[in-house]
Amino acid sequence: MTRIVPFSRRTLLAGTAAAAVAPALGARAQALEDRLVIVTSFPRDLTTPIVQGFERRHPGTKVEIQNRNTAAAVAFIRETRSSPPDMMWASAPDAFEVLKKDQLLQRYRPQATGIAEKVGAYPVNDPDGFFVGFAASGYGIMYNTRYLRANNLPVPKEWDDLAKPVYADHVGISAPSRSGTTHLTVETILQGEGWEKGWALLLAIGGNFASVSDRSFGVPDAVNSGQYGLGIVIDFFGLAAKASGFPVEFVYPSVTTLVPANVGIVAGARHPRAAAAFIEFLLSPEGQEILLDPKIMRLPVRPETYAKAPPGFPNPFTDASLGARLTFDSEKSEARYELLNSLFDRLITFRLSELKAAWAAIHAAEAQLARRDNAEARRLVAEARAKASAVPITEAESLDPQIAGAFQPTRPDRPAGARQAQIEERWDTFARANYAEARRLAEQAARLR
Amino acid sequence: MTENAIGVAVEDVTFAYGTTVILDRVSLAVPRGEFFAFLGPSGSGKTTLLRLIAGFGQPQRGRIRVGARDVTEAPPWDRNVGMVFQNYALWPHMTVAENVAFGLHRRRVPRPEVVRRVEAALALVGLEGYGGRRPAQLSGGQQQRVALARTVVIEPEVLLLDEPLSNLDAQLRVEMRAELRALQRKTGLTTIFVTHDQEEANAISDRMAVLDGGRIQQVGRPVELYDNPANRFVAGFLGTANLIEGEIVREGAASLFRGPGGIVLPAPGTARTGRTLLALRPQALAIAEEGRPAQFSGEVQRTEFLGGHVRYAITVAGMVFHVDEAHLRGREALPPGTTVRLAADPDQLTFLEP
Amino acid sequence: MATATLAGLRLPGLARLGASPAQVALGLAVAAFLVAFLVVPVLRVAWVAFQGPAGFTLVHFGDFFASTLFREALYNSLYVAAMTVVLATIIAVPLAYFIARFDFPGAGIIHTLGVIPLVMPPFVGAIAMQLVYGRNGTVNLLLNDAFGFRIPFMEGLNGVIFVEGIHYFPFILLNLSAALSNIDSAMEESAQNLGARGWTLFRTVVFPLALPGYVAGASLVFVKVFDDLATPLLLNVTAMLAPQAYLRITSVGLADPVGYVISVIMVAVSLAAMGGAALLLRGRDYATQQRGGGGLQRRRMRSGEAAFAWIFIAITLLIVLSPHIGILLLSLGTVWSFSPLPDGFTLAHYGTVLTESTRYMVNTVLYCGGAGLLDVLIGIAIAYLVQRTRLPGRRLLDQAATASLAVPGLVLGIGILRTYFEVSVPGIEGSLATSGLMLTIAYAVRRLPYALRACDAALRQLHVSLEEAAEMLGAGKLFTLARIVVPLMLGGIAAGFVTAFATAAVELSATLLLVTRDVNAPLSYAIYVYMQSPAGRGPGAALGVIAVVVVAVGTWLSHRLAERDRSRRSREVVAA
Repeated sequence: MTRIVPFSRRTLLAGTAAAAVAPALGARAQALEDRLVIVTSFPRDLTTPIVQGFERRHPGTKVEIQNRNTAAAVAFIRETRSSPPDMMWASAPDAFEVLKKDQLLQRYRPQATGIAEKVGAYPVNDPDGFFVGFAASGYGIMYNTRYLRANNLPVPKEWDDLAKPVYADHVGISAPSRSGTTHLTVETILQGEGWEKGWALLLAIGGNFASVSDRSFGVPDAVNSGQYGLGIVIDFFGLAAKASGFPVEFVYPSVTTLVPANVGIVAGARHPRAAAAFIEFLLSPEGQEILLDPKIMRLPVRPETYAKAPPGFPNPFTDASLGARLTFDSEKSEARYELLNSLFDRLITFRLSELKAAWAAIHAAEAQLARRDNAEARRLVAEARAKASAVPITEAESLDPQIAGAFQPTRPDRPAGARQAQIEERWDTFARANYAEARRLAEQAARLR
Repeated sequence: MTENAIGVAVEDVTFAYGTTVILDRVSLAVPRGEFFAFLGPSGSGKTTLLRLIAGFGQPQRGRIRVGARDVTEAPPWDRNVGMVFQNYALWPHMTVAENVAFGLHRRRVPRPEVVRRVEAALALVGLEGYGGRRPAQLSGGQQQRVALARTVVIEPEVLLLDEPLSNLDAQLRVEMRAELRALQRKTGLTTIFVTHDQEEANAISDRMAVLDGGRIQQVGRPVELYDNPANRFVAGFLGTANLIEGEIVREGAASLFRGPGGIVLPAPGTARTGRTLLALRPQALAIAEEGRPAQFSGEVQRTEFLGGHVRYAITVAGMVFHVDEAHLRGREALPPGTTVRLAADPDQLTFLEP
Repeated sequence: MATATLAGLRLPGLARLGASPAQVALGLAVAAFLVAFLVVPVLRVAWVAFQGPAGFTLVHFGDFFASTLFREALYNSLYVAAMTVVLATIIAVPLAYFIARFDFPGAGIIHTLGVIPLVMPPFVGAIAMQLVYGRNGTVNLLLNDAFGFRIPFMEGLNGVIFVEGIHYFPFILLNLSAALSNIDSAMEESAQNLGARGWTLFRTVVFPLALPGYVAGASLVFVKVFDDLATPLLLNVTAMLAPQAYLRITSVGLADPVGYVISVIMVAVSLAAMGGAALLLRGRDYATQQRGGGGLQRRRMRSGEAAFAWIFIAITLLIVLSPHIGILLLSLGTVWSFSPLPDGFTLAHYGTVLTESTRYMVNTVLYCGGAGLLDVLIGIAIAYLVQRTRLPGRRLLDQAATASLAVPGLVLGIGILRTYFEVSVPGIEGSLATSGLMLTIAYAVRRLPYALRACDAALRQLHVSLEEAAEMLGAGKLFTLARIVVPLMLGGIAAGFVTAFATAAVELSATLLLVTRDVNAPLSYAIYVYMQSPAGRGPGAALGVIAVVVVAVGTWLSHRLAERDRSRRSREVVAA
């Protein structure tokens, strides 16, 4: 039986992590500290109303927000063990996993009741209690309506749609290595479609990418500006942009991922009681309602809160299609986390122009086939598709500790295999050769009359 | 010279940049109150020597004394030596008065006295009322005076002047030269003056040192050096000299100088026999008139009219001799190609080491 | 004491060092600063590149060169840096020539507007560039409507070259026009006298004399572009070294040493480029023989020339300032999406930032002003030690300070956290590493090379006799420095201060790592925070405009100061 523990890539390791926070009675018995320092990657639109609400509830405590991107936040907490900030507050589950693995978080079990166990197929909280989900967000497609109209593009509904030739050069995504949420989307597609088929789909969509951004917010930025028309983004980016007046819309495909937004107390926090109170506030009905603000647009984890939601607000507790389609094997995800990031970069991010050229040639050949069929050409195009959809390693290999281990920090207990750089070089060679061959085959097919 | 009478003494000073020796075992004494000149071509080390006295650079060897004090290791600001730079080095961001007052403030002179002494110094150089101006608003000659005032106002033990006249035009240079001399007389300052212009050195200094190649060639009063140069360099550098290699031989009781091309001249009996170098000033040679005695003959190459006299270039046995003839009204110079006979004044011969 | 026995020979300790105790102390203080805040932090980070499971190893460097992608990235980075120098030259040389050669009212404008491109507020600048030049930016939407085609300004390596070129050309402009203004007009006159004019004059006299300034600027452009991270990231070009290093170092959970290997290689290439430029200029530092300067002969333009010059300037400035125009529009616009101009205009964004963000502005002025001050102090000290003393190792100080150009802000930030987080100082709340003081120091380290070059050039203009005169009158070295040297270097110092201040005002990479408290945060951080949400675009852009205006005013003031300084000096030359 597969235990469903999403996002905990290092469950076993984490068992040895730092001591739990003082139990709740301590938190209740003593007054809160006068300060609370929170590192967050959330925008001000989200943090300000919540912090204001918290400070109204606990007037004696002043909250200090430190805005950092996720990577800088993790690096900061890592480098400041002796006097860390009190809390980490961010979307990216992988960042929390890394902190948990490095024993930089401490346990806290929330007191609040009425919180759902699961959103979609995912448990809200870290099973080991190191971090707590306070909201959920779904992945989907955001698009610029002016852009689609100007370019005569249809509105997409499903992930597969994005692989269609019509969207060539109109789609944007952030790299999974840079965005924990994109990583989850990629992993979900791979688990939902199967390894080989999943990669074929990703590479076909990849052929339509206008660019691969290095930061999550780069994608909604570009769609908002109309640099490209469609972006694979987390829902609140689309919903909040729409609420801010941009001509954009957001759709959930039927296979979507729901990603929890988390908060955790940093090990050695100076203000643990205020931190605990902050978590309780987030989970309280008052805190949950703030999430419905049009500038924030996160899905509350308290089902009753949806009663106050504006019409059309997605509700994962009533809409079964939202994220409930598949079960997610988190052990698999954990085993190949870094490997998957690197593989995506090698196959798509760093070889985007080669990949796009291959797919452009395939699309051109197929268009010609549609006008005049030709068996030989069809065979060549099929071969080209196969080349442009191939992945250098099997699913079994992706989970092999000998290979996947090369992408993780060196540990004495793991046998030394090939180094990351050597494996990556093999993948890079594989990708370049395949894309060049696919392009050659497709162009050859196009020349056949 | 007693301790008390020493203005500046340089003892056995050697200075080098890396392996390039600039000054080679130089020794020199300037008595108090003397106006002394360092004369030499560029690269002779004269400015370096001046700068060592001011404290800009440390000799690798030797001592430097100012007055009774050994200042070899003292920094420039602790020597009480005043220097006027070739480019004046006035500070453009300060007024004339501020420039002049600078050294006094450094010496913690009380303010009222500073004002008085700055005015006195400016008066000394003839710039009363210029205190409020900026250096950029002054002419070159005025800037020079400010530089001078700035230096003398601190009443230095010794005043060093680094080619102070080289940036002035010809007439101003002659005027300033006289003023400098007058100023020195008035203040009684021991003064060292660096120049490459022998006329300037002759005109202004009590004594001078001729430098070449980092060594002192000769020290003495200008007229001594001119009349009795110690070597070929001094003879050639101070004015023009015809230099003739030859030897002194004894013929009976008489000594004779024998040069190339059959030149024979009487030599004083005290002259040593053997190889020698004869230095003859142009004015020690004369073009002999018909029937007058002459020692040798040559052919006029060209003439230069120099106002008071005419300088002839005359070839004698393949050598070119310069001969000066006084110019009088109505007298025309001899045309080139004229053969002339030359007579040397036996009292004006100088025999040098070859 | 063997030396003492050599009769008459003195080699006391300090004389052997060729420096006075104060100079030695100054040198040590500067060295201590550089070691503490540059060398040690960077080495602590770079050390990872040399560590294998069994200690020291070079195997990761082997991996780097075995990788096709990294070799391509290295080639691309070199190519982009070189081509950017070409583009920046094409923009900067005519502008510098106009300023130097002609008497016309545009000079001050060129000077001021020439610095503005260096001030590109983070994120806002990126979005504005896309909105103006992107594939659906203003220019391309208009082109597409009118002519049915687009120009890929912002695509691939050429896009990087385009953006870098219009961002960094001021380095060449500033250095070149400084060099031109130092040329003694007598040199030009003597060449004219010998029959050279027009192109021959330029080729044989003006160009060789201006070459040191040009090479200094060009090498700076090369190094900055080679190390630049923001532009490739903005254009999503990853096949270059800086983005490869950044992606590797900052990816969550990745402990791959290759990112640090790339950093080390980038530092090495940058140092080599700067060393090469220095080698090229060895023995050609004509500036030292050109006291006074005064610049080329200026003349009035004929009306045809003036028209041509104005058109060239107008087009150039329009192109290089378009990101700033974009930011201005963004700050005044309501929604701007897939259209040549925003849908509507409003002042609301300025209202938002003025009520919320005065603290950030104060912090920016405080930190960047402090950093600029620190930079000119250290810059003066190093320039002085290098040019006026024979202190052993003085060139090393110069090189170390200059080398900070080659250190990515992120590496410095991590290094400083790693080195100083445990340190706390009385009077500063929290850790030293995350205090405003450390942010000031980090800015100072990052911007030191700019200030150093400016101070160095200013001191070169100063005849040593001005200092000797003061010493002779009884002023010690330090007093001379304070009363004579520094006041006379004021123009150059101001230029150095402004460059350091202006570029620090928009520095982000180290800021993001070192700011821990809102009350400590500067403008660039506030811009970042605003730009994280769609609603924050307008206010973020408004803050960007404010940053640009602050810098523009500072630049203009320093230009005035430098001009005054120059005219004072040149009047002196005329009089002498």
